[in-house]
Amino acid sequence: MKKGTVIQIIKQILCILMVMLVLAPILLTLFAALKTKADMVNTSPLLLPAHITFSNFGKVLRNKYLWIGFRNTIVILAVSVFFNVLLGSMTAYIIERFHFRFRAVVVGLFFAGMLIPTFVTEIARFKIIKGLHLYNTLGAPIIIYIAADLMQLYIYRQFISTLPVSLDESALLDGCNYWGLFFRIIFPLLSPATATVVIIKSITIINDMYIPYLYMPSNRLRTLTTFLMDYANAQQGSWQNLAAGIILIMLPTIVLYIFFQKYILSGITAGAVKE
Amino acid sequence: MNSLAKKRKQFIFLALLIPTALLIAFVAVPGVDLFRMSFTDWDGQSSTSHFIAWDNYADMFQNKDLWLSLKNNAIYFFVHLCMIPVELAFAVLLNSKLKAAKFYRTMVFMPYIINGVAISYAFSYFYSPVNGAFDSILKAFHLNSWIHNWLSDPSIANYVLASVSLWRFSGYHVILFLAALQSVPQDIEEAAEIDGANAFQLFRHIQVPHIMLMVDFVLFDNVRGAMQVFDIPFVMTQGGPGFATSTFTLYTINTAFKYSNFGLASAMAVAIMLMIILVYFIQNEIIHGLILKDKG
Repeated sequence: MKKGTVIQIIKQILCILMVMLVLAPILLTLFAALKTKADMVNTSPLLLPAHITFSNFGKVLRNKYLWIGFRNTIVILAVSVFFNVLLGSMTAYIIERFHFRFRAVVVGLFFAGMLIPTFVTEIARFKIIKGLHLYNTLGAPIIIYIAADLMQLYIYRQFISTLPVSLDESALLDGCNYWGLFFRIIFPLLSPATATVVIIKSITIINDMYIPYLYMPSNRLRTLTTFLMDYANAQQGSWQNLAAGIILIMLPTIVLYIFFQKYILSGITAGAVKE
Repeated sequence: MNSLAKKRKQFIFLALLIPTALLIAFVAVPGVDLFRMSFTDWDGQSSTSHFIAWDNYADMFQNKDLWLSLKNNAIYFFVHLCMIPVELAFAVLLNSKLKAAKFYRTMVFMPYIINGVAISYAFSYFYSPVNGAFDSILKAFHLNSWIHNWLSDPSIANYVLASVSLWRFSGYHVILFLAALQSVPQDIEEAAEIDGANAFQLFRHIQVPHIMLMVDFVLFDNVRGAMQVFDIPFVMTQGGPGFATSTFTLYTINTAFKYSNFGLASAMAVAIMLMIILVYFIQNEIIHGLILKDKG
């Protein structure tokens, strides 16, 4: 009994240390965001100032490129995720349920697509995007997220494998055609998987720096993340301003995570138990 | 029946047409094109380029900065590798009887979903030589002599960046291990406990065999992740000072988009791909063959 209590206390201490490690960089940045320029010098970075200020946040919020970035991020996200859901669920359904000629080729192609390293492929993809005149348009990230980010297939395939095949058979016997079967019967049943795909994709796209940075140099095409990079370069040395920007850009995905973590955790582990 | 088979074929063809076409155009073609470009001197602009056989590969092997970058990748790999037992232990801890386990699980995974650019800047501030929080913590413990230029001292900067990488990605492994542990059937665990197995025996003989597949995945993920470290040094140090904190992927990207040497960059990209595929097969053959053999 007593030994059990000691073990529980040790476990709690370890967990609290972990929480402190996770929160420290975020909280310390928040402290800086709430300080005036004078407080940055006069107070310890580990403490809140005597009087907090929201002027740093005001300054970021008045920057029009933040709002341009917000709008662009929403547009890219909405279009990409819509097609990811539509194409991803259909592809996964067919790969999982049907046997057809070239099935092995199609599966192999998608598997190879997931194995190809993401960052360096842009060296060759860049030429194609330019050739299609998508460079410096919102179309570039949208088409790349739709075509090349394939993690939705894991999530849908795993989910579809749990649906009974008898469902398909009885629907077909009732005179349903294949499209009706998919859109009226299968797709609605996939909604937990769809929720997972929507949330995880949204977080991935909001957080992505590289694709927008590479393909959209124009500043009216900023996303939330590339806006922060510009803002950081403009704030050289004045950490209190940059800190407010950091906190604001972190917020959307943290909020999504807090509300939808059930879906996120199930989807993340689906990607790992593959093959 | 014949018309149903035809309709079935039609459905499969139409439904797969767009996703497969997109995959071929934007993933398969660029993937293959990397190989072709690696034998040319294309600069990313000109309409023509010359076939230069293996010159890019020869350049690549003689490039000292690239080897230095690859050595830096190895630092990330080993730092993360050392952390795997800790991550596993933490997963076991979160899987055991524990108050507020759900809250701790939320916290442990949170760094993984936070914006990578934002957190890289937050860590730049944390390690900043002027009013940086980390130096203040050291001062609070009277460890003034430990203070360094964390991000510009070439002998430690990579480890500092790797610590940021640990902060961001360790929680992902904990959650994966936790999911694997939760898939261990409850009745087997309970039976072992009734038979008097202690926590370690339970771990060694019941839990470990069940999570070997996940360990396998995490090891591969670690190789793939370490090979592709990019955004943390890109945002925090731009690979500097010099090439002290460059990584293979960062160097490759800069070769293409900063120095317009797409041919050489393609050769490097091919090298990354081959290294990842090699590791994948070595792991499949050796680790699967040796460790998972007894599982059948």
